[in-house]
Amino acid sequence: MKRFLPLVAMILSACVAAWPARSDDLVSGLSTDLIQITSNFTGTEIVLFGAIEPTEDTGPAKDQDLVIVIRGPDIDMTVRRKARILGIWVNRQQIELGGMPGYYFLASTRPIDDIASIPTLERFKLGTANLEPTLRSKVDPNDASAFRAAAIRDRKREHLYWESPTGIEFLSRTLFRARIPVPAAVPPGQYRAEVYLFRGGTVVSAQSSPLFIDKSGFERRVYNYAFDASLAYGSAAVAMAFAFGWLAFLLFRQRA
Amino acid sequence: MEVYLPVAELSVNWAMILAMGAAVGFLSGMFGVGGGFLMTPLLVFYGIPPGIAVATQASHITAASLSGALAQWRRQGLDAKMGLMLLLGGIAGSALGVYIFRLLQQSGQIELVVTASYVVLLGSIGGLMLAESVRTIRMARGSASPAPVKTGQHSWIHGLPLKMRFRRSKLYISVIPPLVLGALVGVLTAIMGVGGGFIMVPAMIYLLRMPTNVVVGTSQFQILFVTAATTLLHATSDQTVDIVLAFLLVVGGVIGVQFGVRVGSQLRGEQLRALLAVLVVGVALRLFVGLVTTPADVYSIVAGTP
Repeated sequence: MKRFLPLVAMILSACVAAWPARSDDLVSGLSTDLIQITSNFTGTEIVLFGAIEPTEDTGPAKDQDLVIVIRGPDIDMTVRRKARILGIWVNRQQIELGGMPGYYFLASTRPIDDIASIPTLERFKLGTANLEPTLRSKVDPNDASAFRAAAIRDRKREHLYWESPTGIEFLSRTLFRARIPVPAAVPPGQYRAEVYLFRGGTVVSAQSSPLFIDKSGFERRVYNYAFDASLAYGSAAVAMAFAFGWLAFLLFRQRA
Repeated sequence: MEVYLPVAELSVNWAMILAMGAAVGFLSGMFGVGGGFLMTPLLVFYGIPPGIAVATQASHITAASLSGALAQWRRQGLDAKMGLMLLLGGIAGSALGVYIFRLLQQSGQIELVVTASYVVLLGSIGGLMLAESVRTIRMARGSASPAPVKTGQHSWIHGLPLKMRFRRSKLYISVIPPLVLGALVGVLTAIMGVGGGFIMVPAMIYLLRMPTNVVVGTSQFQILFVTAATTLLHATSDQTVDIVLAFLLVVGGVIGVQFGVRVGSQLRGEQLRALLAVLVVGVALRLFVGLVTTPADVYSIVAGTP
């Protein structure tokens, strides 16, 4: 085990600075590194594939585990809890959660709780239960965890968070693959695909590659106009309504 | 069949949205109402965020009201001076409404306020309409003619100052009631995404005592500008207008209106009103049930980029 310590230290420091594009015994890649949201975008699927190259140090394949994580850009979430007041359900409490990923996909070879200890998982933010959002509002800790759990539940329902403990397929002893579903509601931005190789509950190798999800030409222009030139954008919406209303009047007059 | 909405950031079935626009357009052509009270709940049921639904479908009403107002103008069924007074109040009202909308959006109560105002307004107006039309239908069966609404009768409204002559409406009244009425409807337009025709029309007949033949055109004239202003205000203040969604609704809507007008012209007035009332009460009930039943998840999440 002692032989591994310098390696682990090296990887950990590399994690803090910049991710290595390639580690000694782990290679991986994405089927695409750019997803364009076009007008007929209904979600897509990408594939992460890779190989564990056997090295001299490689022990028996049995105690090695892989974890793949795709993280979207951080977003803020407002979580509200309803309560019944005079028979009507009203939003009573709300908290703001910061630094939650807008998209989170995790696939592993086994349930992650069996792969490593909670502190390790927390350090690498592996598993939705180990995401630590920053609280922007004062709430008591019990409440905060209920709100956080609700946020994660909601994201899972929207298929924006996904945990698949058996989502990594091994095509051979060294070659692996994971299918990553990307729903239509993904937030655009910079994503990161991370692959962790665990041996005996410790990260021995890790790798990260970027993934960009961006609205394509028309969709991005519309969105930008709506925010940067909102007066012109609003005028365009009104002008369109006028044009069609006028057109309908002309058609109506001819038919009547 | 799917199209991505760039501002709502989700994809919808465009044929479905087009059909919704057409269906609501059909009803609004048939009944002479804007149809916002149907469109907003429909869009929300479909999964469009309420804020975007309210702001975006205002342009659907703009298009429908423009074609309606132009048609009325041609047959002299539009009092432009009265419309202008209502409009002045309406613009102020919609600015206030957009401001209130934003406050409510930040406090998380927008959904509750929108739904509750729908239940109260639709429930009461629908109930009144239903009662009135059933009475009329019964009277018609008993072959007794209902008492017509007399124009030009005096009420407390005629005691107010700042009088002005409205030729086409054959009225000489204070400008305060039209301004207040316009403002009230403007607030509703901004908060609920409705044109407010279903409040404006009865108020013009029963409060301002305008002749019925100029009421619909005048209300459409004012709604047209108020919804246009609301679209602009929402676009600039909270960026909740999705132009792709608006386009689909408008196109579906103007087609639907054509067919609605034809069917509507073959039905009798009180039958139309009774049908509309049933529809309005139905929507109110559906929304009320949503307010009182225990939600599947008491938590709701709004995600946004920091």
